Amino acid sequence: MAVDQLTMRVRRGEVYGFLGPNGAGKTTTLRMLLGLIRPGSGSAIVLGAPPGSPQGLARLGALVETPAFYPFLSGRDNLRVLARHAGVPEARIHAVLEEVKLAGRAGDRFGTYSLGMKQRLGVAAALLKDPELLILDEPTNGMDAAGMAEMRAFIRSLGQERRTVLLSSHLMSEVEQVCDRVGVIRSGKLVGEGTLEELRGRTRLRVRAEPLEAAERVVANLGPVEQVAIVDGSLLITVDPGAAPAINRELVVGGIAVSELGLERASLEKIFLELTQGAEAA
Amino acid sequence: MRGSVAAEFLLLRKRRSTWILLGIWTALATFFSYLLPYVEYRNGDLGGGPGEVPLEQLLPDRLAGQLSGGFPFFGGVFALMLGVLALGSEYGWGTLRTVLVQRPGRLHVFAAKLIALGAGLVPFVLAVFLVGTVSSYAIAQGEGVEVTWPSAWDVVRAFAASWLILAVWAALGIALGVLTRGTSLAIGVGILYALVIEGLLSAFADQVSLLEPLVEFFLRANAYSLVEGVGASTTSAATDGPGAFSGPYVGGEQALIVLSVYLAAFLVVSGLLLRRRDVT
Repeated sequence: MAVDQLTMRVRRGEVYGFLGPNGAGKTTTLRMLLGLIRPGSGSAIVLGAPPGSPQGLARLGALVETPAFYPFLSGRDNLRVLARHAGVPEARIHAVLEEVKLAGRAGDRFGTYSLGMKQRLGVAAALLKDPELLILDEPTNGMDAAGMAEMRAFIRSLGQERRTVLLSSHLMSEVEQVCDRVGVIRSGKLVGEGTLEELRGRTRLRVRAEPLEAAERVVANLGPVEQVAIVDGSLLITVDPGAAPAINRELVVGGIAVSELGLERASLEKIFLELTQGAEAA
Repeated sequence: MRGSVAAEFLLLRKRRSTWILLGIWTALATFFSYLLPYVEYRNGDLGGGPGEVPLEQLLPDRLAGQLSGGFPFFGGVFALMLGVLALGSEYGWGTLRTVLVQRPGRLHVFAAKLIALGAGLVPFVLAVFLVGTVSSYAIAQGEGVEVTWPSAWDVVRAFAASWLILAVWAALGIALGVLTRGTSLAIGVGILYALVIEGLLSAFADQVSLLEPLVEFFLRANAYSLVEGVGASTTSAATDGPGAFSGPYVGGEQALIVLSVYLAAFLVVSGLLLRRRDVT
């Protein structure tokens, strides 16, 4: 089953990152939200309407998978076809081409475009209706580093307007740079959801000290400490970072040599691997 | 709906294959309806000298029947390809999902495509009738025969019959395109059906009486019967190469009904499939 008991909520005005490895069910989920495929069971509401309904689609723009356009038409004519279907004035075409920086090549046939240019045209098509909600599936696929950076900044700027963006990606760095909240999907199930801070969890203190077991006993008896464990030859302490000086003092007073004390934050990459591999193991 | 139809017209107009098919079809129709028969008429070595193909058949007053005789098979195959390309290529390129997420419902897009394609078939009839008119006029002038034009009613009936035949074949192409979600297999199956299934069974129908009732419901039998009613020659149809048909003929009214039912059935099946199936 590509998607199984997936529950997620994208809030108005946020950039929501839909993160998961290839084949996790991201594109299938997006296709269901757009009414392109029907779920075996369950339901979804997109902008207050069922998936694929004209009322909902009128207020959203989408780029799903590889941008698909008519290869014999120019980029501009492709948008003209879509604008006519959507009932959008043709004046809007030039504006979106400018917005994605494709106006200079808009007269060329789509078949001659590079992958990066195709992605830009896909985003332009998604913007045609000036939508409240943008659903973008791997929009930086095939772009060079500069193009990716530009596209991410562009998506970020979309999120700072009044729009909501649902961004699907398998790139953690992309999601980290662009998104307000993240949902992590693995084998069709949502295995984690929250802000980046929430996903990373609480900041922890890592302390190198000798003797380590004695240090653990001292720290475990301190009031503010929530949890302490010996990991890789260090103490890993779950505690408010503001308690670090007091912990250091207590260890020194207790005759323990502290050689290193620092904050440790889990990277999103680590969280992602923990979530996805954990789910796989389960 | 007007916007979607305009979008589909833009696609049809800008698609090179539309113009290529129109050009080839017009050239072939003129070649087989006028040029080749006229050469046959003029060149005694080819088949017994002048008179083998009667000159009357090539003159303007027989225009309607002479031209519509090419539509049941040859024209049909071109229309089949147009129909396949109209829907099948949308699956092949993945453009169906791009269009569908723009807002219009599936049946809305389907209806717009049908309107555009239906109108797009008019030039396929018109071009052949125009070139045929010029050809028949040139032959009459060359032979020093007085030019008599067919009645407007005859031309309109032949035009409408030709369009209907193309529409039915195009609808078959649409159905195959939707069914196979592509173009290559759909065109292959369509031509296989037209050539092998209908062609062979029709050829055997006068030897195997059991086949006759079946053949009477073939596109080929009903299309040839329809154009026979507007003046197409049954003798020409019997020697029409891979599209040859020597009967059984049915009444014009039955042909009209059967073709209309085929048209509706192909479109309903296509619409239902398009509406119900996932678009990936």
